[in-house]
Amino acid sequence: MSNLLEVRDVHTFIGQFHILQGVTVTVPKGAITTLLGRNGAGKTTTLKTILGLTPPRTGQVIFDGREIQGQRTFEIAALGIGFVPDYRAIFRDLSVEENLRIAERKPGDLERKADLIFGLFPDLKRLIKLRGTQLSGGQQQMLAIARALVADNKLLLIDEPTEGLAPVLIEQMMQAILQLAAETTVLLVEQNFHVASQLAKHYVIIEEGRSVQSGVMADLLKDTATVRRYLGAA
Amino acid sequence: MTGITNLLRKNRTQSITLAALVVLFLLALQGMEPSDWIITVLRGLSVAAVTFLVASGFSLIFGLMDVLNLAHGTLFMIGAYLGWTAYVRPDTLLDLATPFALFIAGLMLAPLWDAGLSRARVAMRAGRVLPWLILALGLGVLAFGLVRYPITAWDASVYDKSPVVFGVQLDLGQTDLPAPLTADRAQVILAMMSVFAGGALVALGLALNAARQRLAAPRVTWRALWLPLSLIVVGVLVYALNDALTAGVVAAGTTWRFCIAVIVATLAGAGLGALMESTLIRPLYARPIYQLMLTLGLGVIGREVVIALWGRTQMQMPKPALFNAMGKGCPAETLWDALINQCATINFMGTRIRTYNEIFIFVVGVIVLIVVWMLLQRTRIGMIIRAGVQDRAMVEALGINVRQVFTFVFALGVGLAALGGVLAGPSMGVSDDMGESLLLAGLIALAIGGLTSFPGAAAGSLLVGLLQQFIVKYGQIGIALPFGAQPFKPTPPLVPASTLLLMVIILLVMPNGLFGRRE
Repeated sequence: MSNLLEVRDVHTFIGQFHILQGVTVTVPKGAITTLLGRNGAGKTTTLKTILGLTPPRTGQVIFDGREIQGQRTFEIAALGIGFVPDYRAIFRDLSVEENLRIAERKPGDLERKADLIFGLFPDLKRLIKLRGTQLSGGQQQMLAIARALVADNKLLLIDEPTEGLAPVLIEQMMQAILQLAAETTVLLVEQNFHVASQLAKHYVIIEEGRSVQSGVMADLLKDTATVRRYLGAA
Repeated sequence: MTGITNLLRKNRTQSITLAALVVLFLLALQGMEPSDWIITVLRGLSVAAVTFLVASGFSLIFGLMDVLNLAHGTLFMIGAYLGWTAYVRPDTLLDLATPFALFIAGLMLAPLWDAGLSRARVAMRAGRVLPWLILALGLGVLAFGLVRYPITAWDASVYDKSPVVFGVQLDLGQTDLPAPLTADRAQVILAMMSVFAGGALVALGLALNAARQRLAAPRVTWRALWLPLSLIVVGVLVYALNDALTAGVVAAGTTWRFCIAVIVATLAGAGLGALMESTLIRPLYARPIYQLMLTLGLGVIGREVVIALWGRTQMQMPKPALFNAMGKGCPAETLWDALINQCATINFMGTRIRTYNEIFIFVVGVIVLIVVWMLLQRTRIGMIIRAGVQDRAMVEALGINVRQVFTFVFALGVGLAALGGVLAGPSMGVSDDMGESLLLAGLIALAIGGLTSFPGAAAGSLLVGLLQQFIVKYGQIGIALPFGAQPFKPTPPLVPASTLLLMVIILLVMPNGLFGRRE
């Protein structure tokens, strides 16, 4: 079983809008897979569908060999999926430490992962007593990723980690994601094709709610026509 | 020092508003005797404490799950009635204890059903309707047992004197508790078994319904049977010793009975809240309008049920003995003397204040404020609540069962309202309309404080309580206005109107309330 996650022909509705109209995504274990596509193509909804935040109406989601579609979000997450949403969702009224502590699934998770987390993001150690509101955008992004690392997650869903960050920070964030991908599997949504192509080994292109093409990133880089057609970048 | 200056500068509007309010309350000193002013402030604090018990639960529930629980006033009132019953009719409490324990024991078989069902794989074949049929059957069997079980309060003729002053008379030894109903043993055993079977069937129905969607079979150990078994033993023992226990509780005196009443009312309120959330509110989370209709309706229904069970009378609830003595050494000069002599009143700066109304209620309010604040700030569940107020979906995505937290918060909120009800009983009297004014006061306090802010609920309650009592006081002594020769005496309807006016003014200056977050 080399695929950690398989999303098979999933259809998702939000209200009466048919957002996902047949998305199939395969995430091999131990590598970064990226979802590519234009704004509004359905990348974020795909992540939310995996987690059950917007449950699929039809189709299957198979994580670690078991069907998880239709389960409640907290049960799916507790199977070992960490989520870093595009809006970061840092809890304002909680301190940095509490923002990490709340992600513990058993007592002492944070202590066990402290070396990993503060190794990746040394800044957070300095900020540990601050409130969520007092962090800059980059610091919030670090905290959001760190929070997903506290519990023993087999898969991380990371949505737009470099959005709105300064170039220096983007570089730092990429390094961090590469490092943590050495230990866990990552499904990444990344608007910036330049960043995505450097990070990911596999890709899936989503266009108007459908997955239209997937494969190995190295092949996509040679295929400039496809890149231009679906992503508008070269 | 710079920290405080910065804080003041950052929250300039808040600081100015609070300062203006403090000045206003101090200005009131001009128009009245200092002793009047002190008693008014103390009464205000006491009213504020009761308002806070309603408003804090209201705010927790609204903050976390966006449910505006309009039944909160009724739940406050139900708390008072439950407290009254546990206080002046301990026989009813003990009568109900046995069927309650047996029903819960039956419900506790749920994990056993779960394990059995998933082993037998019947759940998949049960379909949609069967679980509900079994649930309904269980409730029917429960009702069958309950009406056969001897509960003295079921018999309306037990009050040969009016229930209004029953508590007072019992307290003074002028009346006895009604003689317990007698029932033959076969009927009692049948009733007990039906109540237990009812609980077991309800558990089976719920387990069947849940098992249809479950993946993994839960593990169960035989240890899970200990609790229901011991509950059955306790239930039967309480029945066997009913008379002795009742006599013991009555003899224990009003202070102990009041403690029992407070605990029973709070826990029963919390249980009612949990039941309400998990059965009625939960299906409506995505539909705010229906929620409003539901809680409004529940409030009306709850009130009618109370009238049906207890009758449309205002009942008195005597103060516990600890705060009721008038004789030797009373009114006391110090708090310590008041406690030793169990005085009803205490002399304080030239005025006489009541230990229960003006001191005890306020102290309990402050204790609740501190305990809930610690719960929110220092515990994991408090952390989850604070996070959930902002972003429920993200909390759930961390692997936390937010629904359970919802149920807990609803239970906590309703439990606090019920606590407020039973505390207010001895000072306000117990009546079916006591919840309405409290609901309004609580809502106003919340709007002033900023809807979802817990400190805001406290500050809002404080302002509402003080203002109400000052208007009441001015209604007695009149307020000298710069124009017109006659002093102006606010009439009673102006009491709630004045708090509304305060709310309007504060919301005009600060649209998000004193502690609200800008949206």
